[in-house]
Amino acid sequence: MNHLNEEELIEHYYSRGAGGDAAQEHLEQCAQCAEGFETLESDMDEFASVEPPVRDSEYGERVWQSISSALPVYEKRKRSWLYLDLWQGLAYAAACALLAGGAFFAGRLWEHKQAQVVATNPPPPVQERVAPPPPVQERVVVVVLSDHLDRSERLLVELKHADADSVETVSPLRDEARGLLAANRICRKNAKRSDDPALETALDHLDRVLAELAGQRGRMDAADLTRLQNEMSADGLLFQVRVLRSRIPNRRAAQAAQPDGGEI
Amino acid sequence: MVRMDQNDHAAIRAILAGDKEAYGALVRRHSPSLFRVAFRVTGNEADADDVVQEAFLRGYRKLQSFESRSNFGTWIYRIAVRCALDRIGGKKVDESHRVAEASDPEQEQVQVADDAAGPDRLLLSGEIRALHEAAMRSLTATERTAFVLRHMEECSTGEIAGALGIAPNAAKQAVFRAVRKLRLRLAPLRVNL
Repeated sequence: MNHLNEEELIEHYYSRGAGGDAAQEHLEQCAQCAEGFETLESDMDEFASVEPPVRDSEYGERVWQSISSALPVYEKRKRSWLYLDLWQGLAYAAACALLAGGAFFAGRLWEHKQAQVVATNPPPPVQERVAPPPPVQERVVVVVLSDHLDRSERLLVELKHADADSVETVSPLRDEARGLLAANRICRKNAKRSDDPALETALDHLDRVLAELAGQRGRMDAADLTRLQNEMSADGLLFQVRVLRSRIPNRRAAQAAQPDGGEI
Repeated sequence: MVRMDQNDHAAIRAILAGDKEAYGALVRRHSPSLFRVAFRVTGNEADADDVVQEAFLRGYRKLQSFESRSNFGTWIYRIAVRCALDRIGGKKVDESHRVAEASDPEQEQVQVADDAAGPDRLLLSGEIRALHEAAMRSLTATERTAFVLRHMEECSTGEIAGALGIAPNAAKQAVFRAVRKLRLRLAPLRVNL
């Protein structure tokens, strides 16, 4: 049997009550160690009686009074710019992340909703789809040009079949030509601006015919009429005007889209 | 205890925000426990009072390093132990306080001074206390402090190690050495009694 050494006895003395101590079991079986422990206990218990002097309730106040004058005042802690920047940066980052997440979520919702709408109302076939209307100014020009070409075509048809001997036939043509001449010049300017050489050429030819017809004074003789008809036929003017008329799209649509006030 | 910790932490926040007077509450609250340990380590009232003041001064200066998750009472207690340790470590043993204790090497018995000896039991108790004090002064500062914390303050080995700033095993060994020395000093007295 190994006896307990002094260190083990001391450790046992201070750990009494902890339980599960093998030293206690040994002391119960070994009289020599038990005697040694009893002596140690007696020695150590002598020191337990040493108590400090009692201090009254004002002791703490006296200590405070004795040291308070020697204590400096702490300056309020200032948050460094780095600290602020860090938190501001984190706040901005969080806000951006929230915004991006919100936008993404809203986009997904919108996309989902659109998909439902398309599924409920399928889009019309391609051929039924109407092209978007042109701007207002462009629509006005188209209407004016279309009207001008209509009137010009009628004039040219009448001129082609006119009888030089009949004054009643030629005179209204001359008046109509005078009216069309001004409109034709405006259309020519527009054609020049819109960079449409075919239209510009046709309107040039029309301008010459209209100018000649409008410039007739008095009664138009057969030779003049034939010359005009030949000139018109040589240029294929009537054909050109008809082609141009067919090029103008959706006249009805343009007219329908025309604002109040009608033609210019 | 929790409420007291919260009060301590609130006071510390106030102090660091510039309210010096808030430290007064901490001083009033913890002075008695600091005096008790300071007296037990130094063995002297005047020194204990000085240790208490010094501990609170040191604590105030180090308050910015105090971690809010700690217990202020434990923290200032450790500072007081260090202050007491510094005081007894830097102080030579005052021979005037020593009781005549010339040992007889042959008998290993303490020869109590004649002018203090007597049949009266109370007087004898005073002599025994004086011998205890003399035995305590024979310890090194670390041994004495470790012994006081273990034997009188009932601190664990870990708490002693924390207060002294040493390893737990070193704290345990310091306690062993202190007990061994004390018993050796008091053995002759035991024979006499």
